[in-house]
Amino acid sequence: MTLLEKYTKRYSQALIILSKKLEDDLSENLHGLVHIDRIYSRPKSTDRFILKASKKDEKGNIKYSDPINQIQDQIGARVIVFYTSDIPSVQNQLLKYYTAIEEKLKIPDSIKEFDYEGKHFIFLIPSDIIPESIDKELVPKFFELQIKTLYQHAFSEASHDLAYKPNVVLTHEQKRKVAFTSAQSWGADQIFSELVKELLN
Amino acid sequence: MKIETIHSYLVNPDKGVKDPKKIRGTSVKDEGDLFTMLALIFNNAPHECQYEIAFQHDSQGDQHNFCKDLIVKYSNTGNFQDGLKIAEHLQNQTTKRSGLGLLFLILGNEGKKKRIVISRFPADNGILAEESISSLNITFVEKIFMKNAKAYKSACYEGKYFETDFWTGRAIDKQINSDLTISDYWIKDFLKSDFATTGERGTKRLATALRDTINKQSTLLVIKEELTAALKLAKGLDGQVVSASSFLSRLGVSIESKEAVRAEMKQSLFDEQFKIVFNEMDKLIAFKTVELDNGAFLSAQATLFDGVFNKVKFEGELIKYTTQGKILTERVRKTK
Repeated sequence: MTLLEKYTKRYSQALIILSKKLEDDLSENLHGLVHIDRIYSRPKSTDRFILKASKKDEKGNIKYSDPINQIQDQIGARVIVFYTSDIPSVQNQLLKYYTAIEEKLKIPDSIKEFDYEGKHFIFLIPSDIIPESIDKELVPKFFELQIKTLYQHAFSEASHDLAYKPNVVLTHEQKRKVAFTSAQSWGADQIFSELVKELLN
Repeated sequence: MKIETIHSYLVNPDKGVKDPKKIRGTSVKDEGDLFTMLALIFNNAPHECQYEIAFQHDSQGDQHNFCKDLIVKYSNTGNFQDGLKIAEHLQNQTTKRSGLGLLFLILGNEGKKKRIVISRFPADNGILAEESISSLNITFVEKIFMKNAKAYKSACYEGKYFETDFWTGRAIDKQINSDLTISDYWIKDFLKSDFATTGERGTKRLATALRDTINKQSTLLVIKEELTAALKLAKGLDGQVVSASSFLSRLGVSIESKEAVRAEMKQSLFDEQFKIVFNEMDKLIAFKTVELDNGAFLSAQATLFDGVFNKVKFEGELIKYTTQGKILTERVRKTK
């Protein structure tokens, strides 16, 4: 069976169902927290999986020798909050119900760079949400979860297909434009954060 | 599953010691009584190791765990030197309180699937009695290693792709509920792991099953009463490691009640272990309500209900409830 066939089977027979179950589980466990705009979970599309599986490292070698077992964001979930000050309470609540093997604050390496920002986790898929009818071999061990503010979410969604288009190298001007929108999003979060301190606390 | 290699190492209690003792080790031959005993441990490990555990990420939040790396490397090579590194790590975590131990690393496979079982036998003293035709010789013996029912520890990892599959495994630590300091030694300090199911999730799962059993119309009244009565005692188990099954047993509920709760849960999770977080349980089953056929509803905190309502059996199935107190508030609602 080819990688495409393997993932298509996994996608249709397990990932779609698991994503929905996970979304419900997240909503239930975060119920009652304020300033949550949206919680969603979705399986990685077949195209994006195959694209990721064929990625190479800096030395030009294939990055994933066993993509089905190595790629951990086959299910990606996101919790979108209003303000940066809402992130810690969501994080604390998540860590009560999910077991993390990775938790990172993703920020650009340099202040001159643009990139996604946000809190990122790799969690074990809880056994509660795995229906007994699904073939266990098709169930990934992990899912990825990001907590983002509305502005971080808006930037990452709007820029993803433009700035990370395969086989397209951005011009200097295009890079500056993307960096500008990133900085605008970051700035809006900073101002809202200050307003929250002044008005809500 | 076929055993490939067995290595054994004598592990001293050298935590915090500047010059730890050099560890001696050996390979175990695949024949004889010792091999038979270790093969039994290897084959039973997936069932005997009843706690599902997960390696923790490092202090930076990265997907890196020192002990996991050692276990994955040894599982790949089956090499004595790589096993020695696991023994050295255990020695660095072993206090005098845990004492001298004999570590066994048992590696086996079935096709591409591999299993590693890591077991520690504590040292004990004993008396050797040797009978001859006319006499009995008794000798005091030190360094006897036994699969001590009270101190035996083991861990088991299984999978095809070790980097991914070995993030979770199973463990047993007979001291886990008797002495938390010692039990931290095996799962937290040595394996750098914790339970795969968080306390809140495990407790919520159990509380939901209890609530659904109690609220189900078809559940027998005697079972509902037994379970709500047992809930009053649940606070005493806060922080204890339980499964849904052992929780109910420890509260002394009947087999019928236990089966009723089991029916409300995913079967594979009934025996999964977690640490009870009573507050989580309290959130889900805080109130008990009794509805009478005369239209009355009596409500109180589940743990206080039997204390605030006095229940007297009247005639036949009739029950008389009495209570007294000051009225704080009155409410009306649209529906039940």
